[in-house]
Amino acid sequence: MTTRFIGKPLKRKEDPRLIQGLSHYVDDLNLAGMHYAAFLRSPYAHANIRSVDLSKARRASGVVLALSGTDIDGAIQPVPCAAQIPDMKSGARPVLARDRVRFVGESVAVLVASDRYAARDALDLIEVDYEPLTPIVNPEKAIAKGAAPLHAGQKDNVAFKWELEGGDLKAAFKAADKVIKQRIVNQRVIPVPIETRGVLADYQPGEGQLTVWSSTQIPHLLRTQIASMLNFPETLVHVVAPEVGGGFGTKLNVYPEEAIVAYLAIQLGKPVKWSESRRENFQATIHGRDQIDDLEVAIKRDGTILGLRCRVIADLGAYYQLLTPLIPTLTGLMMTGCYKIPAARMEITGVFTNKMATDAYRGAGRPEATYLIERVMDLVAAELKKGPVEVRRKNFPQPKDFPYATPTGLIYDSGDYQKALDMALKVADYKKLRQEQAKLRKEERYMGIGISTYVEICGMGPSSAMPAGGWESATVRVEPTGRVSVMTGSSPHGQGQETTFAQMGADVLGIDPSQVQVVHGDTSVVPYGIGTFGSRATAVGGTAVYKSLQKVKEKLARIAAHIVGSDPERMVFANRKIFAKQSPKKSVAFGQAVSAAYVAKTLPAEMEPGLEATTFFEPTNFTYPFGTHICVVEIDAETGDVKLVRYVAVDDCGNVINPLLVEGQVQGGIVQSVGQALFEEAVYDEQGQLITGELMDYALPRASDMCWIEAARTVTPTPVNPLGVKGVGEAGTIAATPALAGAVADALAPFGVHHVDMPFKREKIWQVMSKNRRRVQ
Amino acid sequence: MKLAGTASLPAPPAEVWSLLTDPSRLSRLLPGCERLEPDGPERYKATVKFGIAAISGKYAGTLEFAHKKPPNSLILKIDGKGLPGFVKGEGRLELRAKAGDTEIAYNGEAQVGGLIASVGQRMLDAAARKIVHQFFEAAKAELASGKGAASEPSSLGQSHARGK
Amino acid sequence: MIPASFEYQAPKTLDEALRLVERHGDEAKLLAGGHSLLPLMKLRLATPRYVIDIGHLRGMSYIREENGQIAIGALTTHTEIEQSALLASKCPLLPETAAQIGDVQVRNRGTIGGSLAHADPGADYPAAILALDAEIIAANTSGTRTIPARDFFVDMLTTQLHPGEILTQIRIAPRRAQSGAAYEKLHQPASGFAIVGVAANVLLGEGGKTIEQAAIGITGLSARAFRAEAVERALSGKHISEKVIEDASRNGAEGVEPLSDLHASGEYRREMARVFTRRAVARAIVAARGDA
Repeated sequence: MTTRFIGKPLKRKEDPRLIQGLSHYVDDLNLAGMHYAAFLRSPYAHANIRSVDLSKARRASGVVLALSGTDIDGAIQPVPCAAQIPDMKSGARPVLARDRVRFVGESVAVLVASDRYAARDALDLIEVDYEPLTPIVNPEKAIAKGAAPLHAGQKDNVAFKWELEGGDLKAAFKAADKVIKQRIVNQRVIPVPIETRGVLADYQPGEGQLTVWSSTQIPHLLRTQIASMLNFPETLVHVVAPEVGGGFGTKLNVYPEEAIVAYLAIQLGKPVKWSESRRENFQATIHGRDQIDDLEVAIKRDGTILGLRCRVIADLGAYYQLLTPLIPTLTGLMMTGCYKIPAARMEITGVFTNKMATDAYRGAGRPEATYLIERVMDLVAAELKKGPVEVRRKNFPQPKDFPYATPTGLIYDSGDYQKALDMALKVADYKKLRQEQAKLRKEERYMGIGISTYVEICGMGPSSAMPAGGWESATVRVEPTGRVSVMTGSSPHGQGQETTFAQMGADVLGIDPSQVQVVHGDTSVVPYGIGTFGSRATAVGGTAVYKSLQKVKEKLARIAAHIVGSDPERMVFANRKIFAKQSPKKSVAFGQAVSAAYVAKTLPAEMEPGLEATTFFEPTNFTYPFGTHICVVEIDAETGDVKLVRYVAVDDCGNVINPLLVEGQVQGGIVQSVGQALFEEAVYDEQGQLITGELMDYALPRASDMCWIEAARTVTPTPVNPLGVKGVGEAGTIAATPALAGAVADALAPFGVHHVDMPFKREKIWQVMSKNRRRVQ
Repeated sequence: MKLAGTASLPAPPAEVWSLLTDPSRLSRLLPGCERLEPDGPERYKATVKFGIAAISGKYAGTLEFAHKKPPNSLILKIDGKGLPGFVKGEGRLELRAKAGDTEIAYNGEAQVGGLIASVGQRMLDAAARKIVHQFFEAAKAELASGKGAASEPSSLGQSHARGK
Repeated sequence: MIPASFEYQAPKTLDEALRLVERHGDEAKLLAGGHSLLPLMKLRLATPRYVIDIGHLRGMSYIREENGQIAIGALTTHTEIEQSALLASKCPLLPETAAQIGDVQVRNRGTIGGSLAHADPGADYPAAILALDAEIIAANTSGTRTIPARDFFVDMLTTQLHPGEILTQIRIAPRRAQSGAAYEKLHQPASGFAIVGVAANVLLGEGGKTIEQAAIGITGLSARAFRAEAVERALSGKHISEKVIEDASRNGAEGVEPLSDLHASGEYRREMARVFTRRAVARAIVAARGDA
């Protein structure tokens, strides 16, 4: 295969329509006779529902239906949870609360009206009699003795306990010269995709056909789940994910609104739409992170890490969403990071609290792991008065160690951690940075340099390790005109696979990317697939596409060889021609060979007509991208303001289909991570009120908060798939928070401070600086 | 939300006490109070319309006195809800004679929920202080008119609150 | 945006608008750029019965010289102020302040009159308006009156404007020789509002060695923007030195009850008032000297 397009920075095919506002998101879709749903949500974090009086709302102008949890009891199954952990307790979320509400924003009633204003107005007419209960907000208090259980029939608020241990931990701590202990907190954050969720459902009673348009990352899984939740034939459910304006994992889920809106459309025989407001998105779409990690590290004086023990409290919120209990376990799998730590143990306590559920948010458990282990490396360096680079280098596995088996049971596919670190140090001119820092410290200016050497788990994943299948599908069909349709089970929502898969199609078939149309998100058109999450779309979905392309190519080669009288094994595809390698004159136009497949008069014997191939690709392992990020900050001692001065990102995601998109993913991920490090925090008060309830109070990073990101790459292909690609969608969020945390801690070193919990809000840093006298002059 | 501070009212404690515990007069002190009627001993039903500029909302609920130690101290409990959310709070008022006037020390805590809690954080503290301020200003005016004097221009500097 | 229902009225002239405001009183809200009112209506924190859209009134968006003063129409947008050549030469503090408001979209739509009348405790303009000793012109059906900036801000979201009045114009004296001004702000990262914003306007003595007059407006610190008179007193008539500025800045929060919210405690705001007063004064002096 000649690679005219793979590896090239093609601009995205998606962008012209997105930039011009010509795309259609769920809220842009309008059907004749469409009605609007609105949800009444609990203002209480914890309360019994004595009664819900819908009579006034039902009489309101425009209202056609109003239902409480009691009204739909039994008609819709609870929100599904695919994660299974031994002995985990039930935390099923009813689609509408019936007897009790357990977080602010939980729906207690739904109504449908002829327009969205009437629907919203009628919400104010619903009278709910709540009996407020004491909210349980703090996860440590939730599992303290005497705390009332949130869920009936359970003895406490422990949702599950999960343990993982590898290596001889006892021996490690026995052999240690020193043991470092530290608590670190990975705060709860709100993912904030630019498009909130939305659902439109249409039911055709004659055909019995239910169509659901939803802003989702997993159209097929949603279809299966809607069918199950409504006890409706799956064959008659059609799900479409139209343009989706970002997900970050929030839309890798099944929500009550998706099932309820479908149910309402069936009940009414009318199309029903619901569009989530930003406030609803904050309250009732999954949150991310929220772990308290208590660490113990056994080290040798020379910086060797012998063992790591973590006790984790994972605040799950009130109920399980699709993957809630699974997320912290990914932290466990990745806790040793890119280091040869022979023994490690993690004990996770999943805790119910009166909050929205946590679930997969860009990185999903791995940013927590990287944060944890990278903070450990910095603390070890500080304890031993060694450089952070030295300590990291000391514990890296070497290239010859790959595939590398971790004590947590993973096999890292390929890696060269030294190389990425060296490149980052070179790009940053690390030595000079340290000199500059020393100079500035004399001037009482506080510059900090943070290093994060990370490895992450991508390309999710082998089905054996996934809750609901880890393969991906793709159908490639060359249409009679020679245009190529790529139907992928992946469901891109910003990742750019319409471009990268077209690049692959073009190179494999020797045509132009403009000839290749990537189709996704429509369960009636694309074969059953898993969806887009876990940095899997290229590594798993792309491989399925690649294999289907190869199958179609083989068939075309046989047809072309048959026409020109040559060996099918030696046919070359280039410039919209198929020709014999040895005698290029033996050539047919691409279109001619395609046409032959459909006209079916001159096909080789026993060949079926048509030109279509489908692959269900099952990966044998995850992929493990890695890299080094270096962050330089300067802190204004008077205000505590942390300013990004430089950011160097060296990422290795294996082979690259489109470097422009890779850089975009890296940039986006880093910026999102800067958000968590500097600003973001979902704050629930003692009463369980989400007091960062809008973007006026919940700060996201802006362009002006960033410095230029100096991005570079090393390339270590993976043996896991034929493309050698690993995935890059989450690398930035995984790598960047520890780099920032390291930089802030480094800047504060003169104050004798080695760890501060995120977010590094100005007042917090100012407090640290004013309360700790500067110790080192 | 915590609210504590002191205010000075130009009358002896006994007179201030009777003002604070007389529902017919108390209703005139509560900013935006539209209705205050008995609902059991030491308990009243109230409807209050409170707003600052464009932001306003109507709240219905109860007001309750407890631990009355005339004329020295009492506990005031409020519990109200409306479309913008709900408020539940409890505060202790201590009255002390000071040079013919009464110094009131108040210390309370309120839980705020719903819309105002989720989007009103930036304004809540100042709004609560404003309510307290208006309350004591109205009390001063009420005391002045009770004495038969023409209502005096209020001095804004006399009460100050601190919130957290 | 799904607000509660309201009646929309779009008067064609100021007189018509004034009559509507008079008639509807408290039940009406004026809509200019909409960047304060609409977010409140969207959340249904504000549910006005009438929305009187004055955004389209002609002749209320201008920046011009009149009788030796600069007159700014109430409907002038932040962007227009930011980009005004007249203001850049005669009153650079205002464009400097405008440039720090919210984001591009807010600046393109938001108006100076709307911002001042709304009197958000974290708004930026009030600090500058105070430091400039501006005059605010308000009209009602019987005429106009002039309100000095110093008296204009009463409390959180509360100004001297009476029901039935519309803010029509802001008047500012052009800067004098040897004077300089600066606006220094610590922004709240979510909303962009000022946690503390300090506008300093200084007039230097001959040779630029002394401060003859100082006017300091502070926003964000408390429920209303105010003139930091204690700072002004500590600066006026003094020989300029780092110490004089530093000492004077310590009075930034004097006599003020600082706001406290989830973004900044009162303690922090108080301290930031000191820091940003010092920075604003120092930079205002540099600006004044640049003129000499």
